[in-house]
Amino acid sequence: MKPTQAVPSATALPPKPRNLFPVWLATVLAVLWLIVRDLEISFETLAYGVADMGEYFSRYREPDFSNLSRYMELMGVTLATALWGTVFALVVAFFLAPLAARNFTPHPLAYRAAREALNFMRAMPDLLLALIFVAALGLGPLPGALALGVHTAGFLGKFFAESLERVDQGVYEGVAATGANFPQRVMYAGWPSILREALGYVLYILDRNVRMASVLGLVGAGGIGLALHDTLRLFDYGQSAALILVILATILIIDYASAWLRRRLG
Amino acid sequence: MSTISIESVTKRFPNGFEALKGINTEIAAGSFTVILGPSGAGKSTLLRLMNGLETPTGGSVSIAGETLGKANLRKVRVHVAMVFQQFNLVERLSVATNVLTGRLAQRSWFGSVFYLFRNEDMDITREALARVGLTDKAWSRADKLSGGQQQRVGIARALAQRPKVILADEPVASLDPVSSEEIMGLLREICDRDGITIVVNLHQVDLAKRFADRIIGMNSGRVVFDGASAELSPQALRTIYQREGIEHDNSLDLALAYA
Repeated sequence: MKPTQAVPSATALPPKPRNLFPVWLATVLAVLWLIVRDLEISFETLAYGVADMGEYFSRYREPDFSNLSRYMELMGVTLATALWGTVFALVVAFFLAPLAARNFTPHPLAYRAAREALNFMRAMPDLLLALIFVAALGLGPLPGALALGVHTAGFLGKFFAESLERVDQGVYEGVAATGANFPQRVMYAGWPSILREALGYVLYILDRNVRMASVLGLVGAGGIGLALHDTLRLFDYGQSAALILVILATILIIDYASAWLRRRLG
Repeated sequence: MSTISIESVTKRFPNGFEALKGINTEIAAGSFTVILGPSGAGKSTLLRLMNGLETPTGGSVSIAGETLGKANLRKVRVHVAMVFQQFNLVERLSVATNVLTGRLAQRSWFGSVFYLFRNEDMDITREALARVGLTDKAWSRADKLSGGQQQRVGIARALAQRPKVILADEPVASLDPVSSEEIMGLLREICDRDGITIVVNLHQVDLAKRFADRIIGMNSGRVVFDGASAELSPQALRTIYQREGIEHDNSLDLALAYA
């Protein structure tokens, strides 16, 4: 027997929920326009400036690689600074992130404390931290590594905590329902589930730290940045161009290496 | 002797939904109980209360004489294993490691956070995997297995806990009929051979009738039927699956005609 059910007759739909998107868009555009007016940003200056910029950049046309072996050594120091900064950040984030993830945290107070600690570390600019550490520890790569470590621990911890919060509720319950305690839940339901994402974040932070470590040389934290600072001050465009190319090549190599590593992990 | 006793349990969720409106029941040790009921009747909530995944708003749940509370939660969970509809394995870990998580509560955190286990735990894991017939898949990644195989890993994880009770929340809802048969048979066999108390939520009336000793029927947060599986009459099914405000329910008639 086939079911004989009356086909429901079409009636008017309930009123459509209001969509406020156009209002928000208009507000944002209005604020942007007000900012341009208030700061007296002039796009004409930009147009005139292009020619001047072109002239300035043309001075870098002939890179001078005569000191290449010294540059490589300095780049090595910068890389080491970035690497140690990243390792420091990784260790700090590894222990703080599970406390700062709403689903894993053993106590709401631990959650708040961990979140605030991460916020504080993130809020301190690494350039400022480097200045402080250089003053306290003297010139060299160590204050640079420490500054990068503290600043990026805040970032990495936040990224990790947010990934941990996205761990499937079911997977978390599957492990929790066996009676596992906090560190066991983190090690079995937490980290294995976010391994891929976490590696991506670490590689991003490493990449960022290499770039930042090159700049930190400017405040006396050693490495290739210091050399670039000196050649720029001497208006030695050839050497400066060579240094910039070394930095660019290093960053490209790291980018390819991290892409390869991520593919390998699948 | 009863292992699970539920005393005037109510549950109201923060959004105001009243999932359980006063449940009183005892579940005997070594029995196989199936809970039937429409979606939203509170079956899942009731089962999750027995493992402490939810806490009751009123009343109490006791497992083997111990009332579940915040302080003894992990201690009680050791004896109350859980099997889930979505299997809830850690996908990136191997089958064997997933089964070993069933041993975590017995071990201090120190060795286990480094994934170090005792030989005794490895033996229990080997035994559990042999029981569910997945010895050869031990070192495959859990997410490389089929649904039926993943659910068997879920059962092996439960067995590794050496529990008194296994709770299964719609364990076959995501599986094909053949795998469903296999999983239900496995649970029945565990009940008979090891004397482990089994409580299963189901949507399949035929499976319930064939595998259960006792059937509890629920509708909108209340127990509306409680009896041996042979006593489950069409009349009883009608009470279990009736929908509020619908007097002549064609869909209900049809569904029960084929049940």
